Amino acid sequence: MSDDPYADLGLTKTASAEDIKKAYRKLVRTSHPDLHPDDPGAEARFKSIAAAHDLLKDPETRARFDAGEIDATGAERPDRRYYRDFADAPGNPYQQRRGFDAGGDPDDFFAEFLRQQARGGAERGPQGFGDRGFTAPGADLRYTMELPFLDAARGAKTRITLPGGGMLDVQIPQGTVDGQTLRLRGKGAPGYGGGPPGDALVTMTVHPHPVFRRDGDDILITLPITIDEAILGAKVPVPTIDGTVSLSIPSGASSGRILRLRGRGVRRGKSEPGDQRVELKIMMPARVDDPLRSFMKTWQETNAYDPRAGLFEEVAK
Amino acid sequence: MTDHFTEDDVLAAIPRLTRVQLFTFLEARIVVPFHTETGLVYRPVDIARMELLCDLTEDLELGADSLSVVMSLIDQLHTARRDLRVIINAIAVQPPEVKARIAATVNGA
Repeated sequence: MSDDPYADLGLTKTASAEDIKKAYRKLVRTSHPDLHPDDPGAEARFKSIAAAHDLLKDPETRARFDAGEIDATGAERPDRRYYRDFADAPGNPYQQRRGFDAGGDPDDFFAEFLRQQARGGAERGPQGFGDRGFTAPGADLRYTMELPFLDAARGAKTRITLPGGGMLDVQIPQGTVDGQTLRLRGKGAPGYGGGPPGDALVTMTVHPHPVFRRDGDDILITLPITIDEAILGAKVPVPTIDGTVSLSIPSGASSGRILRLRGRGVRRGKSEPGDQRVELKIMMPARVDDPLRSFMKTWQETNAYDPRAGLFEEVAK
Repeated sequence: MTDHFTEDDVLAAIPRLTRVQLFTFLEARIVVPFHTETGLVYRPVDIARMELLCDLTEDLELGADSLSVVMSLIDQLHTARRDLRVIINAIAVQPPEVKARIAATVNGA
């Protein structure tokens, strides 16, 4: 700020307390950074007028300044972050619509735009704003909810408790992903002057599952099998998100081999359902007994093989 | 510096904000904090928003009703600005002939 707080407010030393208040209010209107987000100079101007006002609004500090006991910097405000710095950032919870940051289809934006125009037009009627007084849609309200893995994958009906004590029924669509936001039309704050209510935006946090993982619409699972199942092949039960199914392990399968259960993944909308990918993991028996040991010994003598042969050639390259 | 503030943190961060005032902001849904199992949690954006709300209520003496309207308009303004910037960025990466066509359409409108 300058050395003269009176000048900052466009006043002189003879100004009355009422003049100071009036001048300050006028300058807040023209210089508050949050009311003028496109004005790069607003922050510096607002800082100096706010500091000037802090100094002069209190008759005591004003008198001390007038008497030369303190200088204008005594009222310097600490740095503050303005709302406009947050308001433009993606994911601002006070945003009125989803915007594009939810990875939505760009066409959604135009659809939304037209929807709002239609909604506003119907409310306002042909006369436009003036005749009916002011109406505005209610604000969107943001909620977050935590969701069990299977509810997200399979879809579910659930409800959230609102801060005011009310309940909101939420239909979780199949294939909901972590971080996804659901829009519940008309469940937000009530509108102003008869305007339509805003929407409720519910952001999902999906909990991990001890068995299932997700990769897009595919479900991933690691399936432990026995050494004999790996060698001889077998039919084994496998859990899927929709229940147990039977899976054929081919004879001679290695650990890390991935088998695909077509269509057993996540069903999302009308698109093809994902698959369940089953990664095999050969588990040794809890105890290696003597018959097994002696059999392997005999087998080793005539059937030695080296699965690491290629490995060292690759490293040497 | 944490990203999450309790109610007491908020009141300490904004000395001119009173508890009563904070409740009126909450009741009017002008400030919507994050809900966790341990209670309400405020983010930096909420703090900045309440600073603005204090400016509006104290300096400009806006009442509770007009405050809701003003904040709704400010939020809509920011959303519109953001959408516009996204569109501008999208246009910026289009080939020159597409840009020229869009410019012609805008000028003709």
